[in-house]
Amino acid sequence: MVSYLPVSLNEALEYRGAGGAIPYGGGTDLMIKGDKDAAYIFLHKVPEMRGIIEDDKYIRIGACCTFTEVAGNPLCPAILREAALQIAAPAIRNLGTIGGNIGNGSPKADSAPVFFAAGAKLRLMSLRAERIIPIKEFYLGRNKLSLEPDELIVEVLMPKHVSSRYYYRKVGAREALAISRVSFAGLMDIKEGRVMHCAVSFGAVSDVIIRRDDIDAMLTGKTVSEAKAVKQAYLNAYNTAITPIRGRVSEKYRKAVCMNLLGDFLAAMGI
Amino acid sequence: MIREVVFNLNGETAVWNGGPAARLLDALRDGFRNTGVKCGCREGECGACAVILDGMLVNSCMVAMGRAGGSEVMTIEGYKKTERFAALDKSFASVSAVQCGFCTPGMVLAAECLLRENPRPDEGEIRAGISGNLCRCTGYNAIVKAISSAAKDGEGLW
Ligand SMILES: Cc1cc2nc3c(=O)[nH]c(=O)nc-3n(C[C@H](O)[C@H](O)[C@H](O)COP(=O)(O)OP(=O)(O)OC[C@H]3O[C@@H](n4cnc5c(N)ncnc54)[C@H](O)[C@@H]3O)c2cc1C
Ligand code: FES
Ligand code: FES
Repeated sequence: MVSYLPVSLNEALEYRGAGGAIPYGGGTDLMIKGDKDAAYIFLHKVPEMRGIIEDDKYIRIGACCTFTEVAGNPLCPAILREAALQIAAPAIRNLGTIGGNIGNGSPKADSAPVFFAAGAKLRLMSLRAERIIPIKEFYLGRNKLSLEPDELIVEVLMPKHVSSRYYYRKVGAREALAISRVSFAGLMDIKEGRVMHCAVSFGAVSDVIIRRDDIDAMLTGKTVSEAKAVKQAYLNAYNTAITPIRGRVSEKYRKAVCMNLLGDFLAAMGI
Repeated sequence: MIREVVFNLNGETAVWNGGPAARLLDALRDGFRNTGVKCGCREGECGACAVILDGMLVNSCMVAMGRAGGSEVMTIEGYKKTERFAALDKSFASVSAVQCGFCTPGMVLAAECLLRENPRPDEGEIRAGISGNLCRCTGYNAIVKAISSAAKDGEGLW
């Protein structure tokens, strides 16, 4: 099998379109299996996938940016930088990419809850077309992605004014090198005593990241004291909405952790 | 299309013909006989196979050769020739930070990458810097002490 090292996006899309070769970001998922006969398209030399740039609407993060690059870049929102820093250890963060984290389709990907909470979009490209879709529409189910066989993830588009008040927690078996048992991202904007925006998401719990803007809407527009009054109803709504799938750790444990994190998030935001 | 992989290994040109999907770890150990690169897990978990790729610490079991093409790779075999190595070598020996030695090449390279970014790390920063390097023998305290004293004694080297 033949591997490729494209040096432009167009070239990468040509190889992808031809079929047969697997996109290779940082390799930290692919190399676990490490099939010696695999054919790869190595993406690390594609400039269109390496940058972190700001335009009028988005912070655009190239799919091939590593966790180390994201964690160290002041253009990236603080919640994303913190999530990136909590991934694995330096020798993995130096390789692992954002595109690979999303491209593996796992609900345990630690950057995913941040992208869900922030309402990020993905820029997907093939030689045929470009698609920009909300991250929510990208995850169709367990390991099922809205990614055509000739498409590549090119960029993650983070909306610019992501709330500076955030809460991120990753709960694993130990501090370093642990896969998440539950991850949580929460964002809240409070202006002049009023909740302008609230968005939370839960990772590693279900087949896909849990994000329920219909429930979060219970708090939006409320004053802090009104929000406090509906807090219990809000928690109850999530308590019903979160249905952990079976995994290595019990459903009961993960549900309890989710609810504790949600309560802690609200308390940290003063609600 | 990638035919052969050409990279720089410890300052010299190296050519690999064993295929772009092979692991850098295997190429270094079996192809180039850099056996200071240890294999502990092949899953990115232990750090025994750590090398420096274009200035960054990476686990070589997690790198396909096609990713290493055109890059500079430094293993403990190359690092051994530097003054900074001498400082770390001395401090690791003086506080008995080495027992079986299996983790040591990776630890030393992790220490190098840490000190390069942060020449005077505190204890927490040292622990974070070696958080991906597992040691079954020492209990880590001696290693942390060794890195800390290398940073002090090697003042100006990093
Ligand atoms: C020791 C260890 C610890 C880890 N700890 C964590 C952790 O704490 N949190 C966490 O979330 N993950 C963790 N991981 C998993 C892994 O590091 C991440 O998922 C990482 O983001 C994968 O990115 P990559 O670039 O290395 O992926 P790759 O292995 O290169 O690719 C992964 C998948 O995505 C596809 N892909 C890659 N780039 C693109 C693209 N641009 N377009 C389309 N498809 C693409 C690939 O074809 C492949 O299917 C860990 C892994 C290891 C080995
Ligand atoms: S052998 Fe590479 S990290 Fe363990
Ligand atoms: S000295 Fe034996 S593993 Fe560290």
